[in-house]
Amino acid sequence: MAKENAQNLIETSDYIGHHLVNLTFGWCEKTSSWGFANHQQELFKGLDSACKVSEMGFWSFHLDTIFMSILLGAVVFGFFGLVNRAAKKGVPSKLQNFAEFVHEFIASAVNSGYHGTSKIVGPLAFASCLWIISWNLMDLLPVEMASFFGHFGGGFNYFKILPTADLNAPLALAIVVMILVTYYSVKTHGAGGFLKELFIVPLGPLEFISYVSKHVALALRLYGNLFAGEMIFILIAIMFGQFAMSFSQTLWFLPGLILNLSWALFHILIVALQAYIFMMLTIAYLNLASTKH
Amino acid sequence: MNINATFFAELLAFCIFVFITYRYIWPSMENLLEDRRKEISDGLEAASQSQRKLEEANKESATILDEAKAEASSLINQANSRADQIVDEAKEQAVEEAKKIKLSAEADIEQSANKAKDGLRDEVAALVIAGAQKILDKEINAKANKDIIDSLIKKI
Repeated sequence: MAKENAQNLIETSDYIGHHLVNLTFGWCEKTSSWGFANHQQELFKGLDSACKVSEMGFWSFHLDTIFMSILLGAVVFGFFGLVNRAAKKGVPSKLQNFAEFVHEFIASAVNSGYHGTSKIVGPLAFASCLWIISWNLMDLLPVEMASFFGHFGGGFNYFKILPTADLNAPLALAIVVMILVTYYSVKTHGAGGFLKELFIVPLGPLEFISYVSKHVALALRLYGNLFAGEMIFILIAIMFGQFAMSFSQTLWFLPGLILNLSWALFHILIVALQAYIFMMLTIAYLNLASTKH
Repeated sequence: MNINATFFAELLAFCIFVFITYRYIWPSMENLLEDRRKEISDGLEAASQSQRKLEEANKESATILDEAKAEASSLINQANSRADQIVDEAKEQAVEEAKKIKLSAEADIEQSANKAKDGLRDEVAALVIAGAQKILDKEINAKANKDIIDSLIKKI
């Protein structure tokens, strides 16, 4: 009995670990070659490297994150592009109505929150909000689905479909925002004024710390929320796993179902809310950067 | 979980998507909405203008109607007074005619009365003469007493 429990425990931690590893393609120091991390895929046998994911250095790519984020971006921005192309001035179609509603929503947020003159803030807010929502929505797909299709359909043993749960993606967005904030701060206050603001007035270098941390926090907030959400989905999924492993655990099925459903319903809120928060903070930071105060 | 070169790929992808939005989605959407806004405000403006026009037309038609009513009533008054006048005239004429008829009738009556009187006088005179002749057949000469009888007749 104890042995069986221990066995279960190992399988559980394996299960969790498996769901938290990205499909990684990178530079393996050991063999000095590029390749997929060990045993991650069966499709490109020749490209398998001897390194594990943890052994790969900075120069590795999470192919699943990149693929999913670009796919989702193409879908979302393709949709808006196509709707825009087909748009007409007169009575709008329903899709156009939807696109205009989304646009109006973001445009009103930008207009009320941003008082500068930059033309990039609207598109930036639009792109970040919609891209993040499309990422986050992936969290609502069943956790096993990606693994199932990745494994049996694509020959990939590891495939994470939620780009937000990979810190690289939110951090990239936050860094773009940080670069723009820096650019507009320098443009508004001058390089000297901006440096003075960061290091001297009013609280010395504390301002610099807050400057860096607010941008890092922008990424970490998004990442943390979605990563935690994903984690809870995985933990709930284990209940179904218990059910599948032995018939004596049948009683796990119902609470698993209820918890999965309720968490998914609650998670819809987080999906939209985190994207909204990211957008609003982006607008607020850029507003602070491009107005004199 | 760890930070790696994926970051750069995401950075690049984000920049591209922001650029696509900046170039192809945001401005055309803004223009579209701006155009629609203008169109709607123009439409509303036109609607309120035509509303105003309608009110003006209503007012105008009401004044025209009032004028027409006034004209009609004055016409009716005129006609009424003319009719009264005509009636009066007719009455007067009738009265006059009646007077005339009465006068001629009276003249006729007088004439016929005179005639009758003359006739009667003559007859009476004849009768008187005849009576007197019968009475005075022997003594009185009809010619000698004629003057007396004539004067008698005139007195009748």
